[in-house]
Amino acid sequence: MRLNPLTARKLRRFREIKRGYYSFILLVTLTVLSLFAELLINDKPLIISYDGQLTFPTYSAVRLGVDFGLGGDAANVPVDYRDLQRRFREADNGDFVVMPLVPYNPYENSEVDGIIRSTGPNMERQHYLGTDTTGRDILARLFYGFRTAILFSIAFTVLTYLIGIALGCMMGYFGGIFDLLFQRIIEIWSNIPFLYMVIIVFSVIPATFSIPTRITILLVIMVLFSWTFMTYYMRTETYREKARDYALAARVLGASTPRIIFRHILPNTISTVVTFIPFTVVAAITAITALDFLGWGLPPPTPSIGELLKQGTANLTTAPWIVTSAFVALVLILTLVTFIGEAIREAFDPKKFTIYR
Amino acid sequence: MSTLLKVVDLKKYFPVRGGMFHRVVAHVKAVDGVSFELEKGRTLGLVGESGCGKSTLGRAVLRLHEPTSGQIILNGDDLMTLNREALTAHRRQMQIIFQDPYASLSPRRTVAQTIQEPLDVHKIGTPREREKKVEELLDVVGLRKQVLSRYPHEFSGGQRQRIGIARSLALNPNFIVADEPVSALDVSVQSQVLNLIARLQREHGISFLFISHDLAVIQHVSDDVGVMYLGRLVELASADDLYRKPRHPYTKALMSAIPVPDPKKKSKRIILGGDVPSPMNPPPGCPFHTRCPDAMPRCKEAVPPRINVGSEDQPHFVDCHLFADESAT
Repeated sequence: MRLNPLTARKLRRFREIKRGYYSFILLVTLTVLSLFAELLINDKPLIISYDGQLTFPTYSAVRLGVDFGLGGDAANVPVDYRDLQRRFREADNGDFVVMPLVPYNPYENSEVDGIIRSTGPNMERQHYLGTDTTGRDILARLFYGFRTAILFSIAFTVLTYLIGIALGCMMGYFGGIFDLLFQRIIEIWSNIPFLYMVIIVFSVIPATFSIPTRITILLVIMVLFSWTFMTYYMRTETYREKARDYALAARVLGASTPRIIFRHILPNTISTVVTFIPFTVVAAITAITALDFLGWGLPPPTPSIGELLKQGTANLTTAPWIVTSAFVALVLILTLVTFIGEAIREAFDPKKFTIYR
Repeated sequence: MSTLLKVVDLKKYFPVRGGMFHRVVAHVKAVDGVSFELEKGRTLGLVGESGCGKSTLGRAVLRLHEPTSGQIILNGDDLMTLNREALTAHRRQMQIIFQDPYASLSPRRTVAQTIQEPLDVHKIGTPREREKKVEELLDVVGLRKQVLSRYPHEFSGGQRQRIGIARSLALNPNFIVADEPVSALDVSVQSQVLNLIARLQREHGISFLFISHDLAVIQHVSDDVGVMYLGRLVELASADDLYRKPRHPYTKALMSAIPVPDPKKKSKRIILGGDVPSPMNPPPGCPFHTRCPDAMPRCKEAVPPRINVGSEDQPHFVDCHLFADESAT
């Protein structure tokens, strides 16, 4: 595929804005890494060598202690691999366990001296950022929380833009009664308070729903109440492009309505939409964090930054490391996305690269 | 000579909405009852000042603006009675060249995509044949083959206009509306594009409806000339006749504004007083009576009839009460 030279120039300009470009690379790397979070932060090891046989338990089913020659209490329960690693090391007969960088999963409560409580950063026990009030590893929860947040906000952005662009474009293109009707509907719709809707819906749906279902419901509600902003922009843009001579020329040629919309109007309106995307992602991350903070967001025990912030503010004096980590992580993510957004806006500046003369 | 296009009493009113509930409170009578005929392979020039409805007329003839009423008979078929599909089929015969070559090409499509689009839309030929046709068209308008993969912003105004012309030629139309095709171009480039249009007409026998506010350009390209004022055709005659002997007071005023390249010759300029009346509320009777130096009481009351002041085979139509007694016998 050959890029339009104007698009190529915009991309080149984006690469020249170092701050935005490096933020982009960093964020993409983090996102890609987070997709493989199970290999980096997990209580299951990457590789086990037992009796000269290699096993890779990361994505496999639960293994019991007997599989690895454990007896007694440990025989018929799922293996504690950290314990297994210790035993193999002590036995020193060629068996070994390679654990991920952080050997905890975001859900397990690790106890100190039989008490579950929040502990500060501890290199030796490999709780690099400490644990939260129920003894869960903060780094693990932040990283998995980041994955949920970024995937959630990408899905959110894609869905709102799809609906907003399609409807806005139709309103602008068909105009008349259709436009009038949808403008009024959108005005009414966008005045329904979204937070109340979330609270109402979540107090109605039964607790038996699985966590992925609940996250999907939250996503749907957020999308349903957020797509309207895109229609304003697309509607006016389409109105303008539709009246341009090239769109008229296509009509004189006998081109069909879908052809005019998809081949002529959309390519000419959508390039500016790109500049909005990072800011929508920022808004989505902020919204989901705020909802989590209020307790109406992702259902527990899903790891999330907002939930950590909530814990942190509740235990500000006794466990300051919780709020510190969560705050720094949130600021870091939002700053990265904002830098990208600024760079894209700069690179796509229509004053610099007008497509008309 | 056979008639290719016949337009009868064409009207295009734009509704003006206002007040509560968006009611239609008035109409802008952009084209108010225009009739003319265009013969095969000939050019009808349309002149008039800005806002007189020339462009609207051109677009209404193509049904780009849906006309309010009237008949448009192209090759014996009344375009006004056609449904969508039949109209799409008829669109192969008629095309348009736009005024602004910067707006008439989609900035996101290559030259090849733009010129090939009509062939794609009407599914003409195999992909290989389409490519060949596009190359031929480029050759016809005098552009090199290397430009095919480039984008409009890389071209000058004159080159873009050629691309636009190539696109309108792709379907071998027999009727083209040229809507001020050279007004946006430099004078040196204007003549190139005009010569190109003249050559196309000679070689392909295309009929043109050539719209311009430039009297010199119109004289150069037209066989017949129509003069428009406030949505009406006030005078229609062969170019020679009209330029030699304008009859309508408005045409006379227009002609007196052409600069004469001779400093010694003092031409008498007819200065029109006042402004063009609003097309939303045109004056009763003759639309020109508010500014006409020869206005009579009758002009305020009755719409002037179309009078042939020429001969039977050299007609010269004027819509003016001054010639009421002169009509050809």
